[in-house]
Amino acid sequence: KRFYSLKVAPKAPLSATAPKVKLSRESQDLEITKLPNGLVIASLENFSPTTRIGVFIKAGSRYETTSNLGTAHLLRLASNLTTKGASSFRITRGIEAVGGSLSVHATREKMAYSVECLRNYVDTVMEYLLNVTTAPEFRPWEVADLQAKLKVDKAVAFQNPQVGVLENLHAAAYKNALANPLYCPDYRVGKITSEQLHHFVQNNFTSSRMALVGIGIKHSTLKIIAEQFLNIRGGAGAPGAKAVYRGGEIRKQTGDSLVHAAIVTEGAAVGSPEANAFSVLQYVLGAGPLVKRGSRVTSKLIQGVAKATNHPFDVSAFNVNYSDSGLFGIYTIAQAPNAGEVIKAALNQVKAVAQGGVTDADVTTAKNQLKANFLMSVETSKGLLNEIGSESLVSGTHTSPSVAAQKIDSVATADVVNAAKKFMSGKKSMAATGNLGNTPFLDEL
Amino acid sequence: AGGGRIIDTIRKWYYNAAGFNKLGLMRDDTLHEDDDVKEALKRLPEHLYNERVFRIKRALDLSLKHQILPRSQWVKYEEDHHYLEPYLKEVIRERREREAWNKK
Repeated sequence: KRFYSLKVAPKAPLSATAPKVKLSRESQDLEITKLPNGLVIASLENFSPTTRIGVFIKAGSRYETTSNLGTAHLLRLASNLTTKGASSFRITRGIEAVGGSLSVHATREKMAYSVECLRNYVDTVMEYLLNVTTAPEFRPWEVADLQAKLKVDKAVAFQNPQVGVLENLHAAAYKNALANPLYCPDYRVGKITSEQLHHFVQNNFTSSRMALVGIGIKHSTLKIIAEQFLNIRGGAGAPGAKAVYRGGEIRKQTGDSLVHAAIVTEGAAVGSPEANAFSVLQYVLGAGPLVKRGSRVTSKLIQGVAKATNHPFDVSAFNVNYSDSGLFGIYTIAQAPNAGEVIKAALNQVKAVAQGGVTDADVTTAKNQLKANFLMSVETSKGLLNEIGSESLVSGTHTSPSVAAQKIDSVATADVVNAAKKFMSGKKSMAATGNLGNTPFLDEL
Repeated sequence: AGGGRIIDTIRKWYYNAAGFNKLGLMRDDTLHEDDDVKEALKRLPEHLYNERVFRIKRALDLSLKHQILPRSQWVKYEEDHHYLEPYLKEVIRERREREAWNKK
């Protein structure tokens, strides 16, 4: 018996007029409105089967004062506590029952509560999202039980040495606001009260500091929800202090054989003309590996430091933009005995760029890497929501990816050189962790 | 309204006949401590909890001496606050919600 056919399978005639199958309707354009009370609503109806909605609030750790440090961290963990409309149990079970998810993401400047679910269940999860952001109760016993989680959260985060270095870097670089740690300081664990949480929410969760963003939902629906439910607290709330850069250094001596060091100066604020130049400079210098286990040919920092030492190391440019300030510099990871050489070699590389040692080809490569990175980050609905939300909070408008790419292209090589000069001449801040015997101080660099 | 006043008189008589007010206790001090009451007690603000502990201690002391308080210190029906009631109601409501969800 044969298990194959001797006849050749007949070819189906290719019909040029066969109807093309469309997987989904074309996405509409992004719509953005600003209500009179300051709330920004943005929505992108892309007819996807899932909907993702986020409430972005200008309420990060920079709005804490020295008397209530750690409140933002606890608030981050408190998103599932009982609210006026639903108990904690109901929020958890209700969201799980429809297969949705509620998550909180907080930076120093903003908090983002986002829910994701199938389209049909948007009403259910929206109810919980609005409850959590506008009417939390912070019952004293629930808050007391939650404080133990602060320690766990902190321990998990600090497993990564970068987190500690960046906290120290911000504490060294700024006098206030942005110097506040993202994670609750140890002495405050167990001492944050329900009143402090309420106070923080009252002062910061106001309409003019919020943005409601939805992907996969109609603009009219979002607008009705925002007008009816997000009107609870009007006004601008308590104004945050303006971040004051001071330029200091914090060294943490531990027994680690790897030294993590970050050296920065004040960089560019979000949306300022130099912001793009600093971003391009970051990629000229090298901002993370593009090929796994590759040799990082395009990274000037890596190539420069590789000539100075043959021990394992890693170095990349560090760039972060806040609404009224920024930080730009280098981040090095080196073996403890030759940390000094690595740092000095990295700084020399930036000096070389500041003296004009960068070609147009380098700048074009960097621009392409930056554009690719940005465009890839907004391909996921999570990245896109974050991007739309952050921009709505800061400026109330939205820059389309093509316009953003154009702005990156318009950065000239001279701008990149100027950004590097700004770094070399600016007052520096430094944070270092590890076995610091061979790590130079700021005044030795 | 009229019926209410009669019921109220009966309530007052029963309260005084029960006698725990002569030991200086309030009604919520005498509740049997099942799981719901234990959870509600955990949620009491500190000052209310301390007052409750004091009253119970005083009552235990009087009971072992086979004495009662002088008449002027008896808890009056009008002053007896059901301090635990809101917390207890909330605990029971949450428990019922959990059971309803788990039955589905």
